[in-house]
Amino acid sequence: MSAAALVVTNVTKRFGAHRAVDSVSLEVAVGDAVVILGPSGCGKTTLLRLIAGLEVPDSGEISLNGTKVAGLGRSTVPPHQRGIGLVFQDLALWPHLTVRNNLEFVLGSVKSPRGERATRIYQALNLVRIEPLSARYPHELSGGEQQRVALARALVSQPRLLLLDEPLSSLDPELRTTLRAELARLQRDLGVTMVYVTHDRDDAAALADAVVEMRAGRIVSVSKLTRTEERV
Amino acid sequence: MWRWPSSRTVVVGSAVALFVVCCLLPIGYLLFTSLSSADAAYAALWIDARQRGLLWNTALLGTGTALLATAIGAPLGLALARTALPQKALLRLALAAPVLLPPYIVALAWTYLGSSRGIVSALAGRDLLSEWTYTLPAAIIVLSVVLYPLAMLATEVAVRRVDGRLEEAALVVAPAGRVLWRITLPLVAPSVFAAALVIFVLAVSEFGVPGLLRVRVYTTEVFTAFAALYDFSRAILVAVPLLLLCVVVAALAAAILGERLVSTRRGSGTPPALLDAWRKPAAIAAIVVVIVALGVPLVVLVREAMGAPSWSAVVGGSGDAIANSLLLAAAGATAVVSLAVWLGYARARARGRIGQLADVLLLVVFAVPSTIVGVGLIGLWNRPGVLGTVYGTDAMFLLAYLARFVPVAALALAASTRYVPVSHEEAAAVAGAGWLRTMSRIVVPQIRLGVAAAWVIAFILAFGELGVSVLVAPPGEATLPIRIYTIIANTPSSNVAVLALLQATVIFVPLAGLGALASVWEAR
Repeated sequence: MSAAALVVTNVTKRFGAHRAVDSVSLEVAVGDAVVILGPSGCGKTTLLRLIAGLEVPDSGEISLNGTKVAGLGRSTVPPHQRGIGLVFQDLALWPHLTVRNNLEFVLGSVKSPRGERATRIYQALNLVRIEPLSARYPHELSGGEQQRVALARALVSQPRLLLLDEPLSSLDPELRTTLRAELARLQRDLGVTMVYVTHDRDDAAALADAVVEMRAGRIVSVSKLTRTEERV
Repeated sequence: MWRWPSSRTVVVGSAVALFVVCCLLPIGYLLFTSLSSADAAYAALWIDARQRGLLWNTALLGTGTALLATAIGAPLGLALARTALPQKALLRLALAAPVLLPPYIVALAWTYLGSSRGIVSALAGRDLLSEWTYTLPAAIIVLSVVLYPLAMLATEVAVRRVDGRLEEAALVVAPAGRVLWRITLPLVAPSVFAAALVIFVLAVSEFGVPGLLRVRVYTTEVFTAFAALYDFSRAILVAVPLLLLCVVVAALAAAILGERLVSTRRGSGTPPALLDAWRKPAAIAAIVVVIVALGVPLVVLVREAMGAPSWSAVVGGSGDAIANSLLLAAAGATAVVSLAVWLGYARARARGRIGQLADVLLLVVFAVPSTIVGVGLIGLWNRPGVLGTVYGTDAMFLLAYLARFVPVAALALAASTRYVPVSHEEAAAVAGAGWLRTMSRIVVPQIRLGVAAAWVIAFILAFGELGVSVLVAPPGEATLPIRIYTIIANTPSSNVAVLALLQATVIFVPLAGLGALASVWEAR
């Protein structure tokens, strides 16, 4: 059995009287892809933000690769020290920076050696097949290209855990299918642990080793899957 | 029956025509007069030694004020947007209040503060400030105290507009300080820079402060040429370089701001607390600024006014000017808002280049210095015939207020109108309502707070207006600012301070009224 990359233990997060995440426990093995599935407002994005460190749990604990990063009601490790990559639903590409500089900002922040940065940026952009667009600004790219930049930005720091918050939700069905397949390929090739939040069962079928279903802030089921492309 | 085009065209067209007559014609007349003669045009552009001195002083005043006001205002705006300051709403109001004080009132307080018998000398036991009370650096400090709220509010709005997700995406890989420096600040920099340009224009357009502190700049030169030397031609010639400077810088600011000038959209996502560690220092800094910029001038005026034998006698002696001011400011604000509401609507619904051009035009017209507007109005209306019957009456004050304050009111109301979705109007049209009915029943009720705020701002600006009023005032007529400005030289300072204090405190009455109105309307 693989070691756990992520352990969420009995985590609760309230917003006022509303329990957005209610006593959730979850374990993700190293290299696994877990999809958190559920309708809007079920707490899946809040759970992702708790793992990223953008929200602080009211109770419970979160550990990454054996290190406790949150617990006892306060964030113990800030987001930038958790070694994660995060793709937002609206991508959140920095509009004043070119594609290359979006990635360069990440490497500069994680204190990557200067001599290696150009190579790593090249590799990350190549991985998602947008290297020729490196000098462009986000608004000069199509929706699919922006999606790839967001993915490259999340991967360039070689995170131990990749978090994705409905990254394909705004795309048309054809592009969505293409990018979903590419994401599955990348995750498999890189072997990165992934937590993917969505309300789309097709995403889950294509990407997940395990599917966690949430309703009203609680996990209602966990099921192991064989990915669709492996079944074909 | 679909009747929108006819009624909308008539109303908006009439508003635009009035805007052209009231706001553009005086400036156009001045430009035409100066450029209609080849010699005059040459003289206007000729930079002789005297002009160089004026240009240098004016540029220093504008640049120094823009830098200092932005250095004070921008960090405060950032703190207001991104830290949980205690009593934030109250603090914001107190921090913004100095921009509503007439600048010459703050300058007057400064002269009392720095005089050899002022508070500073009394506390220090020796004369520290009087040597540089009447200097260019003093004018820069006074104007910065009055204008820093513009940089503060522009920065706060810009920071609030930054999408919280962009900062969160950076927080995943970088500490808060680096996120602030590399993500937040570059995104708000254009707005802060544009605010600095607007402050530059307002500083070089200001007449009262340099006039009172005896600093020679273009605005005082225009006034001297016209009011002291009765040389209308020279006034026009000196006005042209200043007008061009203001127009160019204001146009640049409007171009940088683009749609942001009339857009009040907030960024999506909850902004992360990037500056929480700075909460206490930021709160202390904000309180210090309130004390220096608002508390000190008022305390100095009160201290000076205490020397007056009878406050009521002083106020009674200027009763006509005070009544004039209140009446004219109320009438002026009503006229300004009555015109601006239609212009604001037209701007809010204009798209693409027309909207952008309207923004540039409105900001440029607002930036035209008051003394230049005054000279333009006199040139336009002081002539035989029908126009001459208007000149020499109180209507000139109203024309002055319209020329100066319609652009800023229209921009404010355009921002309010944008909150009303076009679909609301379309739904009314589908239900059979004509455009005027849609405006009166659907649009205006939704922007009533914006209309009330525009009226209060116009009233406050009109009540403190000096630069145009002092030029166009009919013989024997005076407003409170004119009265204060003209009695400074030959009246005991305690009496002047009483009137200045009245001038400064009256503005808080409509502000309190607006606050009460807002709380009643929002409670419904």
